Amino acid sequence: MLRKLATIAVLAAIAGGLAFYVLTMPRTLPEATLAALPEGDAARGETMFWAGGCASCHAADKAEGDDRLKLGGGHVLKSGFGDFVAPNISPDRNDGIGAWSRGDFANAMLRGVSPAGAHLYPAFPYTSYTRMKPRDVADLWAFLKTLPAVEGRAPGHRLGFPFTVRRGLGLWKLLYLDPAPVIDLQTDDPQLLRGQYLVEGPGHCGECHTPRDVAGGLIQAKWLSGAPNPDGEGRVPNITGGKGGIGDWSQADIAYYLESGFTPAFDSVGGSMVEVQENMAKLTAEDRDAIAAYLKAVPAVDATGQ
Amino acid sequence: MKKTFLVISLLAATAAAAYAADDPIAARKSLMQANGAAAGASAGMMKGEIAYSPAVAKAAIASFNATAHTFGDYFPEGSDMGADTHASPKIWEDRAGFDAELAKFQTAVAAAMQASGKDGPADLDAFKAAVGPIFGTCKSCHEGYQVRQ
Repeated sequence: MLRKLATIAVLAAIAGGLAFYVLTMPRTLPEATLAALPEGDAARGETMFWAGGCASCHAADKAEGDDRLKLGGGHVLKSGFGDFVAPNISPDRNDGIGAWSRGDFANAMLRGVSPAGAHLYPAFPYTSYTRMKPRDVADLWAFLKTLPAVEGRAPGHRLGFPFTVRRGLGLWKLLYLDPAPVIDLQTDDPQLLRGQYLVEGPGHCGECHTPRDVAGGLIQAKWLSGAPNPDGEGRVPNITGGKGGIGDWSQADIAYYLESGFTPAFDSVGGSMVEVQENMAKLTAEDRDAIAAYLKAVPAVDATGQ
Repeated sequence: MKKTFLVISLLAATAAAAYAADDPIAARKSLMQANGAAAGASAGMMKGEIAYSPAVAKAAIASFNATAHTFGDYFPEGSDMGADTHASPKIWEDRAGFDAELAKFQTAVAAAMQASGKDGPADLDAFKAAVGPIFGTCKSCHEGYQVRQ
């Protein structure tokens, strides 16, 4: 009897281990998607570079002008799970991602998987980038290849157990990695759809402006309604039309804010949004209008915890 | 009508300095409101929503100037807490850094005052050249020393 129980326990443990192994396997893009990746156009990729805000984490803190194109990493993102340090993504072959293939880059952006087949931490916002079109990812790759190589590696992440076990991220991804649109806009208005794409995809606005659950996943029912500031001070504002939000801003107000950094009351942009706004200022006026149109169209959600 | 309102807002800047010296939070907030109104008038002209007027331009620049030279006086120790202040604790932790940002604001405004002359910048292009650098200093300071609630 006892022996039977022991056998069952061992079998259950093996089955559990096997299930964990299978469920947490890093899933790369299908061969067909990788094979269909276009060459990439660096000029178009520059738009994705600014829309995606790559420099905000991967350039040195306080970098200005051309130094924002030196992506040696080092910026620290604080979280409840530990400190994540942005790595070197310059084209340096040893310290950056110069030795990656276009497919490697697409797997990182769209699936959060490294060239070695490991899960990347979602401090790198692939949960948003996963909504990008493969063509835009290829264009971004072409642009990144034109940037200066930077030597030197950023220090590693500072995390506690169990978050040091990357394999566990496989389960997290099953819950939170989904390329489907967040908001069902029920529209075929090209401006709204472009805005949705920029905000939910490359712009990854939701990563800071949406509150997270205990496991660190975005609470999509509270999309863009504001969240605690991970840097500690204040809050990241509600950018829906709900309470504490920007319901009294017109579409033109939002577009002007993204262009100039001035709110309708002529307060200026502050905190970490300064860099984001400066990136948005590099987009076309059409793209800023599209973002503004989308923000006016998302469900109004009241800010929580205020 | 809008223009009249803006000009009145600009004049409020002067009054702000005398307002509530014993309430530094209220004083500095009123200064920043006047500053915002001056920025609003400036941007309105630059966007073409308000016809360019050298007199309004000069009033805006003078309002920036008044704020630049007084704003820093309303951050005594202990005024970091209070009703609805967006001042970051970094102002007190790194006073030298905050003062350096204020100095940038003052320098940009001094140049604009100079360019403005007796009657204000002659045309919109001259105004843009004078005000552009001032606008840059708003973000530069708010990036490190202002907190959103």
